Amino acid sequence: MSRAPLSRACAALLRRDLVLAWRQRGDIALPVLYALIVATLFPFALGPDLALLQRIAGGVVLLTVLLAMLLALDGLFRGDLEDGSLEQLVLSPQPLAPMLGMKILAHWLTTALPLIVIAPLLASLLHLPAAAMPALLLALLLATPLVSLLGAVLVALTAGTRRSGMLLALMLLPLCVPVMIFAAGALAAAQQGLPWTAPIAWLGAALALAVVLAPLACAAALRIALDA
Amino acid sequence: MSGLRDFLAMGGYAAYVWPAYAVFFLVLAADWLAPALRRRRLLRELRGRIARQEARERRGTDASTSLPPAT
Amino acid sequence: MSTWIPLWLHRLGSPPTFYAFAGRLRPWAIGLALLLGIVALYGGLVLAPPDRYQGDDYRIIFIHVPSAWMSLFIYAVMGVASFVALVWRIKLAEVVAMESAPVGAAFTFITLATGSLWGERMWGTWWTWDARLTSELVLLFLYLGVIGLYHAFEDRRQGARAAGFLAIVGVVNVPIVHFSVKWWNTLHQGSTVNLFGQSHIAGDMLWPLLTMMLATKCYYVASLCGRARADLLALEGGKDWVRRIAAGEAR
Repeated sequence: MSRAPLSRACAALLRRDLVLAWRQRGDIALPVLYALIVATLFPFALGPDLALLQRIAGGVVLLTVLLAMLLALDGLFRGDLEDGSLEQLVLSPQPLAPMLGMKILAHWLTTALPLIVIAPLLASLLHLPAAAMPALLLALLLATPLVSLLGAVLVALTAGTRRSGMLLALMLLPLCVPVMIFAAGALAAAQQGLPWTAPIAWLGAALALAVVLAPLACAAALRIALDA
Repeated sequence: MSGLRDFLAMGGYAAYVWPAYAVFFLVLAADWLAPALRRRRLLRELRGRIARQEARERRGTDASTSLPPAT
Repeated sequence: MSTWIPLWLHRLGSPPTFYAFAGRLRPWAIGLALLLGIVALYGGLVLAPPDRYQGDDYRIIFIHVPSAWMSLFIYAVMGVASFVALVWRIKLAEVVAMESAPVGAAFTFITLATGSLWGERMWGTWWTWDARLTSELVLLFLYLGVIGLYHAFEDRRQGARAAGFLAIVGVVNVPIVHFSVKWWNTLHQGSTVNLFGQSHIAGDMLWPLLTMMLATKCYYVASLCGRARADLLALEGGKDWVRRIAAGEAR
């Protein structure tokens, strides 16, 4: 059996996942719709007071995006697990970690990127000051891949179980606390007119670490979960 | 017994101190009892399984000797 | 298996041997735990004088602080046992890791409950987003996640390995949570809570505290023995030694 070079295999996997996602365009729209609905419900629950909405807007958008991603994470490996192509991936001669990294990248492109695109809309619905908008976008650009990478490890762990979204939320929450704190910290600082690069730099450092380590952990977790 | 009453009053903080101790002992008691109950249930199930298996084996040997071979 | 593991440890790793060993150890451990616990409670509740600032309310410390230590200690034990289970695939390490989780969760819950009873009087609120409280809550979620993941698998050993992996991820996570919450709290200028700010602890308060710590350690050993025995019976249900025990206890 001749072995395809890793870069070609990765590109092929990425293209395959993106094509699959494109064929089911409706599924891409669902998290976006969910985020929109949750963000619209907040003013109804809290009242249309402008000052209050301005204060909470950043946190609400972050939380909404996180919840929408949590919903979508459940499906990261499901299709591939059901039709057996995930086992093929595990058995393939290429190293598993970069291949899983490609799958996570494809998942991030199809679920988190649309959420980031509509985040300014959600934020201005809640009257987030325009000055804080760059901080929001930058925080989301760094925090969402982090959540995707951390979540992928946990989804891989639950791959061998009955489907359980609640369990995934319980496991993801402790890992998300620092991400949420630094993303919200950057936003709060930006809203108060303080320098907000420090928390963004922390997020960036964490992302750099996660890009290297999470695919490896994900591969190890998947081997445990599929080892029946 | 004013000494005991003073002790139980905890300098006026009885409502905080004693519930804390109650939580401590109740939770640990539950933690202690759980495996004991589980062990008893497991052994009971296991005995049931062994008894069923023995009954099946006995019936199996009886059937082979008493029943005429089916034609 | 490598040769540096002593032979008796090898033998202890076999389930029937460990079952018998745990059965012998358990009464001693719980007896010692009760003895030390009674001594510590007498020292803490009766002998120790009331605190200058907090009156008698501080007496919650004698269960709160040992429980908090245990919640971290048991997590460390669980992490190490999980690591051993994942690397060397020793069945007993899986059992120890997974049966530690409920005991650790119990101690974490006790820490949170007694802490909020204490805080209700001391700080006027039963909950505050202090770094220590938040990391303890996150620790409880981690314990619950490990327990939940373990039970989500049909195959117990596979579940133990997956949950062990999660436990190891959590070992990295707890310090990160602690420091990030500390950073967050200074940013938000939140509550300025200082647990042992003004009173450093006196000798006649310290010895009951340390005795209680030993008592909770002994209790953990005893509880772990009981849990591991029950778990081994479930894991090895079809084997002869378990059948002999089942037949022996039929009355």
